[in-house]
Amino acid sequence: MEMDVPGAEELEWLESNALLLPEEGEYDEEEYPPEEGLRADRGDRRPDLSPPNVSGAPRDRPIPCSLPDISRPLITHQPRIDPENHAGRKRLRPDADSGAGCSTALPREEEGGNKRRAMEEESDEDWLRHPLPKDAAAGAAPEADVHVLDAAEEKTISRFAWEIEGECLPVTGPGGERVYAKMTSSAIGVVGSKSAAAKSTSGLLSEPISVLNKRLEEDALAKALQESFGSQDNQTCPAVPAVNEQLWVEKYAPSSFTELLSDEQTNREVLLWLKQWDSCVFGSQIRTTTDDVLSALRRHSSAIHQQKFANNKFFAKNNGASVKSQNLNSSKVGGRETSFSKGINNLWAKKSMVSNSPEQKVLLLCGPPGLGKTTLAHVAAKHCGYRVVEINASDDRSASSIESKILDVVQMNSVMPDSKPKCLVIDEIDGALGDGKGTVDVILKMVAAEKNCNSDKGNVTQGAQNLKAPSKRGHKPTKLSRPVICICNDLYAPALRQLRQVAKVYMFAQPTVTRIVNRLKYICNREGFKTSTIALSALAEYTECDIRSCLNTLQFLHKKKEVLNILEVDSQVIGQKDMSRSILDVWKEVFHKKNMKRGGKALKGRIGQKDMNILHSLISNRGEYELTLDGIHENFLRLSYHDPLMRKTVKCLDILGTSESLLQYVFRTQQMSLQAYQPPLVITMSHLISQVGKPNIEWPKNLQRCRAMLVEKKDLLKAWQNNLSPSISRHQSIQSFVEDIVSPLLHILSSPNLRPVALHLLSEREKDDLAQLVDTMVAYSITYKNSKPEPLEKILRHGTSADASPLFLDPPIDDFVKFKQGYQSEHSELSLAMKQVLLHEVEKHRILQDSVSKSLNLATEGSNKNEASTKTYATEVNVMNNPMQTPVDKSCKQKSPFSQRQKTDCTARISSSGMNFKAPVTSNKPSKHSSNFFDRFRKESGMDSKNQIANFQKTATIERDSRPLLFKYNEGFTNAVKRPVKIRDLLL
Amino acid sequence: MQIKVKCNCGEGQCPEWAIVELQGIVESQPSIGNQLQGLEIGRLCCSSSSSSQVSYTFTVGYHELSGSKMALKKPLLVLKKKKAADGDNSVLNSSEVELQVIGVIRHKILFKNRPKALISKPQVKDKKIAQ
Repeated sequence: MEMDVPGAEELEWLESNALLLPEEGEYDEEEYPPEEGLRADRGDRRPDLSPPNVSGAPRDRPIPCSLPDISRPLITHQPRIDPENHAGRKRLRPDADSGAGCSTALPREEEGGNKRRAMEEESDEDWLRHPLPKDAAAGAAPEADVHVLDAAEEKTISRFAWEIEGECLPVTGPGGERVYAKMTSSAIGVVGSKSAAAKSTSGLLSEPISVLNKRLEEDALAKALQESFGSQDNQTCPAVPAVNEQLWVEKYAPSSFTELLSDEQTNREVLLWLKQWDSCVFGSQIRTTTDDVLSALRRHSSAIHQQKFANNKFFAKNNGASVKSQNLNSSKVGGRETSFSKGINNLWAKKSMVSNSPEQKVLLLCGPPGLGKTTLAHVAAKHCGYRVVEINASDDRSASSIESKILDVVQMNSVMPDSKPKCLVIDEIDGALGDGKGTVDVILKMVAAEKNCNSDKGNVTQGAQNLKAPSKRGHKPTKLSRPVICICNDLYAPALRQLRQVAKVYMFAQPTVTRIVNRLKYICNREGFKTSTIALSALAEYTECDIRSCLNTLQFLHKKKEVLNILEVDSQVIGQKDMSRSILDVWKEVFHKKNMKRGGKALKGRIGQKDMNILHSLISNRGEYELTLDGIHENFLRLSYHDPLMRKTVKCLDILGTSESLLQYVFRTQQMSLQAYQPPLVITMSHLISQVGKPNIEWPKNLQRCRAMLVEKKDLLKAWQNNLSPSISRHQSIQSFVEDIVSPLLHILSSPNLRPVALHLLSEREKDDLAQLVDTMVAYSITYKNSKPEPLEKILRHGTSADASPLFLDPPIDDFVKFKQGYQSEHSELSLAMKQVLLHEVEKHRILQDSVSKSLNLATEGSNKNEASTKTYATEVNVMNNPMQTPVDKSCKQKSPFSQRQKTDCTARISSSGMNFKAPVTSNKPSKHSSNFFDRFRKESGMDSKNQIANFQKTATIERDSRPLLFKYNEGFTNAVKRPVKIRDLLL
Repeated sequence: MQIKVKCNCGEGQCPEWAIVELQGIVESQPSIGNQLQGLEIGRLCCSSSSSSQVSYTFTVGYHELSGSKMALKKPLLVLKKKKAADGDNSVLNSSEVELQVIGVIRHKILFKNRPKALISKPQVKDKKIAQ
């Protein structure tokens, strides 16, 4: 079967069809409460129709069971069927004006497509009888009516199941031809007993499908009997099955698209998504509305307008009450007409981009239970002509079994060539983690496979595609070629993480309470259960618009002959679907106080009790007390609760402390049963601080951050401690450093009485201070370092010295006294110039110290560069008993690796000046900076042991120098880290 | 090309050489410079204290190395290059080179241990003074 782009005439016809319907759609809106008016209205319009009733034996159901020709019975039955069918179709129309924007036009268009398809199917006989173009060209109201009849007729019986909306029954004729007969509710309700009238609504599928099915079977049997016996009189009415035994939830489940309670926008988008599969599944192509068609649409919109007005007038006669609103409506529709067409254009254009099947292969519906996700999936799939195959949480969901199941559903055409394609609905995909994962994996695999072969698909022309489609399916077995709808409660379940990226996700919002209440009320009326709106709304609120639990409760009460009581809603509600809420919901619940407007004190107490119960179950169901309390801890101070004396805050913190210690105890002793005492603590806090306003909750990150920071700083400290000389580090643990020493040390490091001037301008005292500071810094291996120009704010904070790059302490120990980002410590910062001086000095000092230790190790090569030095050493040996001389030796030695010149200078000095070397030390030093240290060294090193060591060194070198050749041992390599530590260092 | 190796094994005893293998470098003092000739590297002593093993001590500078004698897997020859000056055919073999065996190396003395530092006597004196 091939579909062309619809011609202009066809579209006109379509539109006239479609635009007729809005007015008729009105019935839907006023359907529930005023049934009488509706019925009267129907009576007016179709006098031949008997009052609609549901049950009873529909003796003359238009099912052609054993007729040789298909078209014949259609025609014979036509007078009787059509008006009813027409009415039935009206019911099935979407509420034409309730939706907004372009999406409203969509289902209509689709239905039109269905109709047209159906018409072309039957073209053999009917086409000739009702030549379409001619009719459409006339374009007037009566013609349109005829077409509605046509469409209705053709939809009733068809050779293809998907063309029939709603329930259908396959019938095989004696010639072997199989047709599908539509089951319309009104057809069933043609004849019936008056007793059942209370339950019947005339338009909707008034009874659940299962009942209808059962009855159909019975009818078929009856028919067969009837024909065999040839008598109609002895036909007995099959008894009405006990409808009451059925769950109301199933009984009143929406059976058509318009009855859905869920959000209109979501419904339509789901439908649109399903429709995008049409080209892939049914082989028909997605139509694109060409420009000329659009212009034709526009041209005819005005004519249709007038026609509409005529209709309005016609209706006005019938039900005068709604004239005004209809007029308003129609004018609105007229105004929207152009935008509609544009919207349609956009929509189809967007869709035509998609080559074959929708981009997102999987639809993911999520939302709290009882909002009708499953129902929507079923209804929408049915509406688009699929057979729904549901995989539920109760089914086997191991990866292997699910795979075969999905493959069966998705790839295999049904064995019967004319049966409906299947649509897979996986309910509660987030249910069991392990099992659900298998499912998700299978789906993901198939989607991935689809993506791979998408590339070569793009080039194939559309005509060829139709031919190739089946063969392709055979070649690539893992391709996903049927729509898959997944349903979950928690979108952010970890199992769904990957699916979320692939699938098209629709969140279900709660329907408004009034909508629920209206529906509940309608059902209650139907069931003869007396309730009040207030009670129903209380029920709806309590169940959070979970219509399933509402209905179950109501039915339960009805069965027990009890009345729904506002005050006892909580005790009366039987049960909600088991679910655990996300942790964010828990926090929200803790911080959020229910608005208690109505009700006296007693009621308040009751509600408080109820709230507590809810909260308790919520928290204990969630279970992650640590996280829960973390979130509370980090968020509760942001609430704006009234607490002038900080009592609540203190109490809350107290409670948090309690729960923390409880938690610790529990984890230490592994007595998990004690966790049961956590929820009451949370509830207490909730009572203290919960607010009516909506809390702004953030995920607790501080704990994590602090932990990371702690690790980082500990590492830093450890590294720093390892760098300290052992004589210092052994006396000082990291902890004591952080707790006791940091602050005084920082104070010492930033002593305020240092002037950033040239060193030779400093007084003796200042020199001493500086020397001491440098010594301290070296000893604690602290230095200044150029900060990289990374954090801008830091530079800004040191804004005074922003021109040069600021210097910071190298192990940033000043961070240890900064607890917060913006905290300014009391310690005065040194000026940049001073820091630079210090940096310089520290570097120098460090080099010196290194060289000292090296020379003490007798490992320096540079110390014996000239032979002359041996002589001087020899002289030194002579004077080595002089305690005054040795410090100078030492200073010489310290300098020796520095520069040879210095050394010679030094030795020269020693040799020339015997005892009075004090003057040359201060005057002849090549570098003024270092003089300080040497002074200091002189003061320090007065001890005899030092002399001894120094002397020993001297002699050793002399000894060494007597040998011309030395052996240098090449050490092997090891992975161990060796760090020379001298006993001397430890003994200091 | 044929290279003649001349050996006077048959006439007398072929001198036996030995390799001294050190883990390390023998360096000259920087004060000495490049003039290495005539310098004493160290003292190599063979001490057959124990019955089986013969231990060698090698004293370089202020280090004392102790090692052992090992047999080489393949013996080496020490050759000396000589311009061939045979009287028979001076024209033909004038360009030829003659190699003379100077020694055979069958053993090496391996010093692979960390050297022992020699404690110099003056230091001992110092200690005495200090005490």
